[in-house]
Amino acid sequence: MFSDVDRLEAAMSFHRERHTVLAGNVANLDTPGFRPMDLERAVGPTTVPAAVTHAAHVAGPAEAAYAVSFDDGGALSNPDGNAVSLERELAKIDANRTRYATTAELTSRRLALLRYAAGDGA
Amino acid sequence: MPLDFFSAMEVSASGLAAQRVRMNVSASNLANVSTTQAAGGGPYQRRDVVLTSVPMANLPGQRLGPGAPGGVVQGVAVAQIVPDAGEPRWEYDPGHPNADADGYVAYPNVNPVEEMVDMITASRAYEAGVTTLTTAVNMAERALGIGRG
Repeated sequence: MFSDVDRLEAAMSFHRERHTVLAGNVANLDTPGFRPMDLERAVGPTTVPAAVTHAAHVAGPAEAAYAVSFDDGGALSNPDGNAVSLERELAKIDANRTRYATTAELTSRRLALLRYAAGDGA
Repeated sequence: MPLDFFSAMEVSASGLAAQRVRMNVSASNLANVSTTQAAGGGPYQRRDVVLTSVPMANLPGQRLGPGAPGGVVQGVAVAQIVPDAGEPRWEYDPGHPNADADGYVAYPNVNPVEEMVDMITASRAYEAGVTTLTTAVNMAERALGIGRG
């Protein structure tokens, strides 16, 4: 019943973590030699099982698999080797924020439906 | 540990702090555009800020695709502030107390135009950092609104 809420939550986590990576790109706008990074949801299985480091430990829930890539969008780097394009990063941040907001809204509505069902239609 | 919004805010804050240092250094260069007697003798030498990226948070390795670089989330820090050892600007002014035997005075190697451009760049980068920070705050607020109403 809650599995789609879990999936939405995973999507929100992804967008939150991607925002952190993109924020790092903006912070390094003037760092010589810095190449911007991006996070992508990996193709294939969307989760990897959490590592169990001791036989007596209980395996935690599977964690999402992400792919990290350098992404300069083919931009020419500055003479100092920095390849961050401010416009590009801000556009990505804004698109990412919109996706996050959309997912949050979907989660909200899904929970409202469940509440409606649980509340005897009241 | 997953990356929470506070990591994003810390990363943005590191960028803001670095841009403020750049701003201060540019301001100090401009203020000393005519300083012919700096501490340690000689004219003031313009300062340059060197920034470096610092890993601030990590996605645990197992969550990344194969071959992914470690230290994905990079904040920024001021590595050093280095004096620019470039040639001073020589001006002929025999009456000046710091004039040499030929009547030339060594003025700082500060180019006001360059400093102004640096300042504008720093200011734009600061604004971009604020935007990023505000976005993180908005996203966190969106999450807090889940299930409300």
